[in-house]
Amino acid sequence: MDYLVTIAVLIAIYTILASSYNLVIGYGGLSTVAHPIFFAIGAYTTGLLAVHVPFIPPVGNVVLGMAAAVVASVLLAGSALRVSGDYLLIASLGFQLGLLQLLKNLEFTGGPGGLSAIPSTIVGPMRGPLFLAICGAAALACVFAVRTIVNGPYGRAISAMRDEELAFTALGRNAMSMKIAIFAIGCGMAGGAGGLYAYYFQYLSPDQFDVLASAAILTMVVLGGMGTAFGPVVGAILLLAIPQAITFLQLPPAIMAPTQGIIFTVLVLLFLYLRPSGILGGKA
Amino acid sequence: MFEPVILLQILWTGIATSAPFVLLTVGFSLTLKVTGLWNFAQSGQMAIAFYAMFFALHGLGLPLVAALALGGVLTCGAAWLIEVYGLQVFRDRGSDNLMFFIFTLILSEFIIYVITLIFGTEPETLYESILSPVDIVGGIAISDWDKTGVALAAFALAALYGFMRYTKEGQFLAAVSDNAKLAELYGISAQRAYRVTAVISGLFIVAAMYLIGSHGGVVPNSPLELVLSAVIGTLLGGIGRVFAAAWASIFLALIQSFSILFIGSRWQNLLLYGFLFATILLFPRGVRLSWGRR
Repeated sequence: MDYLVTIAVLIAIYTILASSYNLVIGYGGLSTVAHPIFFAIGAYTTGLLAVHVPFIPPVGNVVLGMAAAVVASVLLAGSALRVSGDYLLIASLGFQLGLLQLLKNLEFTGGPGGLSAIPSTIVGPMRGPLFLAICGAAALACVFAVRTIVNGPYGRAISAMRDEELAFTALGRNAMSMKIAIFAIGCGMAGGAGGLYAYYFQYLSPDQFDVLASAAILTMVVLGGMGTAFGPVVGAILLLAIPQAITFLQLPPAIMAPTQGIIFTVLVLLFLYLRPSGILGGKA
Repeated sequence: MFEPVILLQILWTGIATSAPFVLLTVGFSLTLKVTGLWNFAQSGQMAIAFYAMFFALHGLGLPLVAALALGGVLTCGAAWLIEVYGLQVFRDRGSDNLMFFIFTLILSEFIIYVITLIFGTEPETLYESILSPVDIVGGIAISDWDKTGVALAAFALAALYGFMRYTKEGQFLAAVSDNAKLAELYGISAQRAYRVTAVISGLFIVAAMYLIGSHGGVVPNSPLELVLSAVIGTLLGGIGRVFAAAWASIFLALIQSFSILFIGSRWQNLLLYGFLFATILLFPRGVRLSWGRR
């Protein structure tokens, strides 16, 4: 039962990540792959505050984690959004891997061994279900917040900026500030997801936030349907749940982990060939 | 610490260490030049190249030449298959670059997971010992591996230059990289050019992985880091400038080598990613050295 709850919590957290990433890449058209590093910034900020500043309440720590992710995203956006397309993709990769190197080498973050002993905010037999309720509510809030943003007048402006930036600028709108705002909102949500992750799992390792995490979140968005409100939810559920099916075979870890990876990647490759627009997406 | 002999030693070691990275970068840069794609599937091909040679040497007990041949056949074969049944399919559909990025990255991950399942995650080397005999020349230690690396990289670059400059096939690659549609109007097959490029890159990857695998341990995940160094070299050299990318790789290796005089070795990767970030922001078209015109 605990295992299933943990999977459900992971799905909720990844739903936040995928939905917020969808806002950045799907609606905003900003091709970055650095989303996991904002997840990491939120997680590490929350984890470090929980360990070293015990008087701040958990909600405050998560909010501060979000704020740290927003600040970092504005710093990246201010410089990197001057370039676009492939260049932005690679620049964001450099930013992500550089910060990961910092996390791996700084002593106060736990170095390559990771940050452990993050205190649990909820104890007892209801810990799992309560966390699931909190993470599920946060995921729902995130999905509907993204939906509300993109369906309103601001969303139409975002679409116009993405599709015709030159015309958008010619109409007197500031594309750069809009890009930074979208980026900051998306990354702030990712930071919040990181805070929830830190409190639930009580352990953070830098390797969780590497380029493979980027590929995983990107895949959830694309497979679910980029630029659709509920596509990332479907992507997160599908790509996290299906590889877990073989857990019940109780294979040795040396076989289990790569086999789950193979199932995950084969699923993605199949979808890329058979339904490139995603499950909920329109015609490719 | 700053004695000439020490500085010369660091210079030589930096140049020699850059050899496999030069080969990887040239393969990556050539692919980007001709196909216009950031082909991250090359990290999967790197894994195939190394583990094919490793299996041939240790599993089958074959001699080095046969191991290299097996590595070459499997890596170039994989590159060709990826081009024909993967990239071309997405090209025909008119997929955007993000789709290519996801496809190549996920395909690499798939290959790496399969290799992890077969070979495990322990570091492996091509030879029992990674120590190679050393000669002292003018106070500088030069190992056999250094000589092999530098000679192999120099030969591969010269061969590629000759191929691009003096053969029709090479000139077709240049034509397709300049304008694929126009090249096709003149009867040059872009698809053929893409496939030839895939095979050439495969050969560069095999040579690089031989050098890397005979100098240190390789784990299935190593190629993901290796391909990033190729990306940085490609960007620094400038997109479409294959031989400048090779120089950029040497420059990066030298920076990393000399950085040990000032910073700990654990920060060297940070230096590399800092270069990647700064290069894109400051020199998105690569660093161009101009000598002026007479």
